[in-house]
Amino acid sequence: MTAIFAILVDSYRALKAQKLFKTVLVLSMLVIVGYASFGFNDKGVFLFFGAMQIETEYFKAGTPLASTLYTGIFSAFIVSLWLGWVATILALISTSSIYPQFLSAGSVELVMSKPIRRTTMFIAKYIGGLLFVILQVGLFCLGAFLVTGWRIGEWNPAIFLAIPLVTVFFSYLFCVNTLVGVLTRSTLVALLFTLLFWFLTFSVRTADDVLNTFQFQAEGMVAVQEQTLETARAQLVGFRDELESLEESGTESGREYYQSQIKRMEVIVEEDEALLQGRQDALAQLRPWVTVLDVIRWPLPETQRTIGLLQRWVDQGKSVTMNDILTGRFIEEEQERLEAEEDTSADIGRERGGWKERRQQRREAESRMIDREEDVSAASIIGWSLLFELVILILAWWIFVRRDY
Amino acid sequence: MLMSRNAVISIDHVHKTFKRRVHALRGVSMRVHEGEIFGLLGPNGAGKSTLVKILMTVIRPGRLEGTMLGKPVGHKPTLRQVGYLPEHHRFPGYLKAAQVLDYFAALSGVRRSLRRKKTDEMLELVGMSDWARLRISGFSKGMLQRIGIAQALMNDPKVLLLDEPTDGVDPVGRREIRDLLLRLREQGHTIFINSHLLSELEMVCDRVSIMVKGRVSMEGTIDDLTSASKRYEIIVQGEAPSSIADNKDLTIESLGDSSTKLTLMSSEAEVVQPLIDQLRSASVVIRSIEPVRESLEDLFMRAVQAAGDSTPGAVMGKKSGGGQA
Repeated sequence: MTAIFAILVDSYRALKAQKLFKTVLVLSMLVIVGYASFGFNDKGVFLFFGAMQIETEYFKAGTPLASTLYTGIFSAFIVSLWLGWVATILALISTSSIYPQFLSAGSVELVMSKPIRRTTMFIAKYIGGLLFVILQVGLFCLGAFLVTGWRIGEWNPAIFLAIPLVTVFFSYLFCVNTLVGVLTRSTLVALLFTLLFWFLTFSVRTADDVLNTFQFQAEGMVAVQEQTLETARAQLVGFRDELESLEESGTESGREYYQSQIKRMEVIVEEDEALLQGRQDALAQLRPWVTVLDVIRWPLPETQRTIGLLQRWVDQGKSVTMNDILTGRFIEEEQERLEAEEDTSADIGRERGGWKERRQQRREAESRMIDREEDVSAASIIGWSLLFELVILILAWWIFVRRDY
Repeated sequence: MLMSRNAVISIDHVHKTFKRRVHALRGVSMRVHEGEIFGLLGPNGAGKSTLVKILMTVIRPGRLEGTMLGKPVGHKPTLRQVGYLPEHHRFPGYLKAAQVLDYFAALSGVRRSLRRKKTDEMLELVGMSDWARLRISGFSKGMLQRIGIAQALMNDPKVLLLDEPTDGVDPVGRREIRDLLLRLREQGHTIFINSHLLSELEMVCDRVSIMVKGRVSMEGTIDDLTSASKRYEIIVQGEAPSSIADNKDLTIESLGDSSTKLTLMSSEAEVVQPLIDQLRSASVVIRSIEPVRESLEDLFMRAVQAAGDSTPGAVMGKKSGGGQA
């Protein structure tokens, strides 16, 4: 334990000695000050410690909307953008040198010659690397917790969930950094490769999400088209039945009308069949790519989804979620308007391919995407990602313990 | 496996091949006895540092039979009783001198209370007490070397392995390090030095081993290794008298400054007395009489030349599947 503690203390000293560590700390505090600079009063939202006032009836002090917005800004923007991107890049820059420096000629002999198992060294050094994020995010969350309590009177301990979440998220990247660092013993290569890997996971996930949205949208369009075609066919059959009964009864009046309707409906059915075929073809073209991206995405760690869990947990139990605010669904009138739009879209069949239909399908696709995200459990997101991390770490450890220095 | 009763380090058949073709060690066997200062010599690339790193578990051997302090080489807990100063060592620049000692002692498992006491002691021992609270990033090479030696002594080791301990140290510092090594030997420590500075090793080592191209070429006390070369050199004025010409052990060499060098191959003073009598009786002026033996440098050069060629470096071989030569 003496040796492990010594390595951890040394990791802290190494981080503390870096200017970047202090810089990130100062920048984090500035972000917190920025977060504290706005709040709510009886008139609405104030900015820059009250220097600017935005009057609004929705976000007033003490309302659930104000509470959701304030904590939501922390989880959806500050954690996602600052901790999930900027601070993480800075943390990677800071920690990329940990293994290369540790394994550099002249340093490694001193440590490897001590009575500590290489496995212990490897793990202690890894935990030491994560210390950067734990310390930074810990202080950041403490600041955010105090500011939130001060501004909206809500002492929300869920804010501190950002510490394990961001640490776990960072560890997905840090394990890659460790593997490349151990393999090449080059800080620059380790950093570049990690950033490249991060970019890859982000791109794959984004592409997969976009394609899935397209697929859901296309599936919806096909379903609607099938329904429309069904309706048109039924109408055609109805007109034909009517004409047939007129012919059987020998009635002349109305025949012309039904004949013209049948001709019109035959054209419509033909058009609808062609449209359906086109949409089915488009869907069939999309599906293999969705499958390919799903397969590529499967072994990769869920970086953004992990960070997104905070939003899910912070919003838990709230009547209005941050998503409702962002989509405008929190406003009753807006909801009513949307419902009215949904009602009028019942006769969608008459404006095939129209903007209302497309908008509705897009909205449904987005809704299915949100459902899909919410259906993925936190255990599954973190569990699979940690499994990836474990595999990478075992590889790095194997190289670390077997190599001659 | 050969074992000496008081051998602190006893190794046999040590092989190490890098990348399947660089044969760094080719069957090294060696004994280091308790309480002695043992010098390991050899040209660049002879495999000295590789051997030391194998003993310190930094490098894994291809093959090795042997023990250190009675335990198989590679037994990590044994390293608690071993101090090590690697060549070209690099301490983290953000640490202060006292922190360096504390950190590496902690890695050796030294308890916190003892570390504090030992840190002050060791810094005092290497003359660095005044620098204890300063970051080592500003230290000179000689100062870092002193810190390195102090670091190696923090766990009160039974065996001390020093790779080029006087590298970068000024003459005064070298003298101090030599005195320190002799003091440590008196206290019962066993010291294993790997160095290029032959003259310094000659002054402190009880025994030496010369490695060339991954093999031990010579091993023993300096006295034993040079005994065959012991002789008396007598410089006389003018030419040597004809009366001594039939002495088979005598070599006569004209020095060109109207003097002659007579070399008698013997280490015994009694053997040279009759020759002196002969010279005196022939009224030859004797300028000097000096017992001479081969220097460590001569011995080293002889070992290198005996190895076949003077090219430094390990033996390069064809790629092989195994981990040994």
